[in-house]
Amino acid sequence: MTTGLGTAPGRAYTATVDFDALKQVLAAFEREGVRYAIFGAAALNLHGLARFTEDLDVFLEPTADNIERLRTALSSVFDDPSIADITAADLLGDYPAVQYVPPSGTFHLDVLTRLGEAFAFSDLEVVRAPFDDLTVSVVSPRTLYLMKRDTVRLKDKADAALLKERFHIEEP
Amino acid sequence: MPVRKFRSVAELNQPIWRQPGDPALYRTMAALWDTGRRLQTRRFAPGVYRFRDIAALESAADDRPPHQG
Repeated sequence: MTTGLGTAPGRAYTATVDFDALKQVLAAFEREGVRYAIFGAAALNLHGLARFTEDLDVFLEPTADNIERLRTALSSVFDDPSIADITAADLLGDYPAVQYVPPSGTFHLDVLTRLGEAFAFSDLEVVRAPFDDLTVSVVSPRTLYLMKRDTVRLKDKADAALLKERFHIEEP
Repeated sequence: MPVRKFRSVAELNQPIWRQPGDPALYRTMAALWDTGRRLQTRRFAPGVYRFRDIAALESAADDRPPHQG
């Protein structure tokens, strides 16, 4: 059954993705047993620094079963046939980065199964963290720091500096 | 909102960290995201997009023209 954010007749899509929408997505992940880890700006929020973000970055355990669970979870939130285009053939093959934009068009879900040669799912330090009344899986502050430290984007370097100071992270 | 006073701009711009689990963190996140959503007019074209690496994904997200949906 599709709930919440689907294509209700006559409903505008201008205000669908917000705190509650992301909670619905993550609640669906938990319900369906998706093996995932949030990283990026959403992870920074969950570690205590509120920050606007227009995407949810998720690292996914790279198995066909897990990708099927992801599709099931997303389909329980969004009434969107394009979710079927998120495939194991891509994510386990030549396209380890897939971006899903729900019908609202107001945010995107970035799904990774590997990050270059630097990170695989098994390399991540993952912690369980509160997200309002949910508990979700998020990379640890240290892993988030390492992911942001060596990127080219200035905002990531600034985030890395904040994480290092806040969590007293030592260089490896 | 109470008045807060600072001795310098640098002090004013310090990030405010909160403890995970603190209800104030989630209230702030919700309010901030709501404000951001109201202020930005950018929309993304719905669908599934695939990329060979995260650099290509980030570049596409940054360069994508507004979608009038």
